[in-house]
Amino acid sequence: MNGAVPTTIIVAGLALAGYALLMTARNRRMSVPLLAAVGVLEILLLVQVGIIVAKLAGGERPAGLATLIGYLIATPLVPVAAAFWGLMERSRWGPAVIAVAGLVAAVLMVRLHQIWPVIHV
Amino acid sequence: MAPPEPAASQPDSTRTGPGRLLVAIYALFALSASARAGVQIATKFSHAPVAYLLSAFAAVVYILATVTLAVGSPTARRIAVLSCSVELAGVLAVGTWSLADPATFPDATVWSSYGSGYGFVPLVLPVFGLLWLRRWTRRPKPRRTTVASAEDAGEAAGGGVAHGESGAPGRGAEDVVADGRT
Repeated sequence: MNGAVPTTIIVAGLALAGYALLMTARNRRMSVPLLAAVGVLEILLLVQVGIIVAKLAGGERPAGLATLIGYLIATPLVPVAAAFWGLMERSRWGPAVIAVAGLVAAVLMVRLHQIWPVIHV
Repeated sequence: MAPPEPAASQPDSTRTGPGRLLVAIYALFALSASARAGVQIATKFSHAPVAYLLSAFAAVVYILATVTLAVGSPTARRIAVLSCSVELAGVLAVGTWSLADPATFPDATVWSSYGSGYGFVPLVLPVFGLLWLRRWTRRPKPRRTTVASAEDAGEAAGGGVAHGESGAPGRGAEDVVADGRT
């Protein structure tokens, strides 16, 4: 795997964070475009989880298997939880929650690479 | 009992407004700290027992802060102030300890080196938590609104965490009633 998906996720996560922070700065609430962007990030993360699960099914194992499995479970939950929590907010702080999710997605890719270096970034 | 909640311009709970962001970040740290502590204690506890127990303690504090900030009742806010204070003390103590005695920490905790492994967010988070919670510790009165901004600016510059509980000097007797904690 050449690392295209994790790299895309990092770029998408940072772009989402930037867009969401711009919305916060401009005092905007949650919007449909923002939610759509979260959806795109979620799909990318699910693809990445699928790639890793396929690697594990192929018999490869990282040193920290327990940690990796924890990341596989937690990663796709981040945008979903952020979307729900952000939608409950009726102010600029809804998009701010989405910004955190975007940054976390990017950081998670770097951490995945540290846990299992075969996942290129 | 003190009157329910601050004036209209303010968020009505610790989980709304900026609190929404705060709870999200606290939830993130609650999740990552407990997962990390769980894996460490389950798989290699003897490797660094002190570090792992401190990780677990940090996880408990983060969970407590997340839940109490999200609930936002007067009792929850009191527990939240306590957990944020413990968290700030913890990150300062463990941060110093980890630098002074690296041998005790062959593996990092959330609070090692003042949370540098997490972009120093663990150091900054309790400060914002306490600043946010102070809005409810000192309840603004409607007639105070004209001076509120100047006073807020002055107090924010001071940056003192315990400020709100003792009541700043120079304010009227209303504060003794308003604080409700003394």
